[in-house]
Amino acid sequence: MVYEVKEEQSKDGRKVMRIDREHLLDLVKDLKADGYDSLSLISCVDFRDRIEVVYHLFNSKNEDILVVKTETRDSKVPSLTSLYESANWDEREQYDMMGVEFTGHPNLKRILLPEGWVGYPLRKDYDLSKTQYVNMDDEGEDRVSFDPGDGW
Amino acid sequence: MKTGDAGFITTTMDKAMEWSRSNSIWPLTFGLACCAIEMMATQASRLDISRFGSEVFRNSPRQSDLMIVSGTVTKKMAPRLRRLYDEMPYPKYVIAMGVCVIQGGPYNQGYSVVMGVDRVVPVDVYVPGCPPTPEALTNGIILLQKKIRGEEDR
Repeated sequence: MVYEVKEEQSKDGRKVMRIDREHLLDLVKDLKADGYDSLSLISCVDFRDRIEVVYHLFNSKNEDILVVKTETRDSKVPSLTSLYESANWDEREQYDMMGVEFTGHPNLKRILLPEGWVGYPLRKDYDLSKTQYVNMDDEGEDRVSFDPGDGW
Repeated sequence: MKTGDAGFITTTMDKAMEWSRSNSIWPLTFGLACCAIEMMATQASRLDISRFGSEVFRNSPRQSDLMIVSGTVTKKMAPRLRRLYDEMPYPKYVIAMGVCVIQGGPYNQGYSVVMGVDRVVPVDVYVPGCPPTPEALTNGIILLQKKIRGEEDR
């Protein structure tokens, strides 16, 4: 598979690879075959007009860390769950906090916040002025509302 | 007794009840965050709060009198905290330990944290600090004892 990778050096001397999201899966597949056998973490940066998704890959043989960055403007990025099992919860966390949709994820739902929460709290455009409340129903399930309800 | 003037006896009974109640406040084993580490230190042998009657941490809310809310109360935790408080028998008391519990602390204006546990349960004694030292919590328990006995705080 042919794809274009922009390589650069981060401030702390780590190798950073920039890739467009169409070829992300191919690049990571090749990197995994190259020896980067662990996906350490996934994080996101909100630039308001686009969201940058950052993957840290780890090579357990020579203890090398590689940073892969990709960008998205419509909050959609291919999921890495087919390559790394650990991507499952990491991607759910990023979906929860930043609203990035990982296409192809088997179980993409909120992991920390309760279901029904409005908005993605780590985004720059998240509205902090409207407080949301969590109440527990009879089955012990969380119910989110803007109305405080009985328990508050 | 029969001839009336029971007022004197009643007040002393109340006093005796208050005295015994204030000297046997059993807290609930309930820790939420880093303040709970200080709460454990308060209970451990160096600064033993059983000297002041808070003998054992009870594992059931049905057996405890005092809830020490030690640590950040998240919005997801708040209904659970409320349920634990509701399960405690009367008379029951709440100590808000640490600045997160008092008004949100460093998480003030955060999206996920309750801005003070007094929005969920009534609080008797506030112990500020981040986290409060074990001595401060011990002082808070002594303050609560004075409050139960109806004495002046200072």
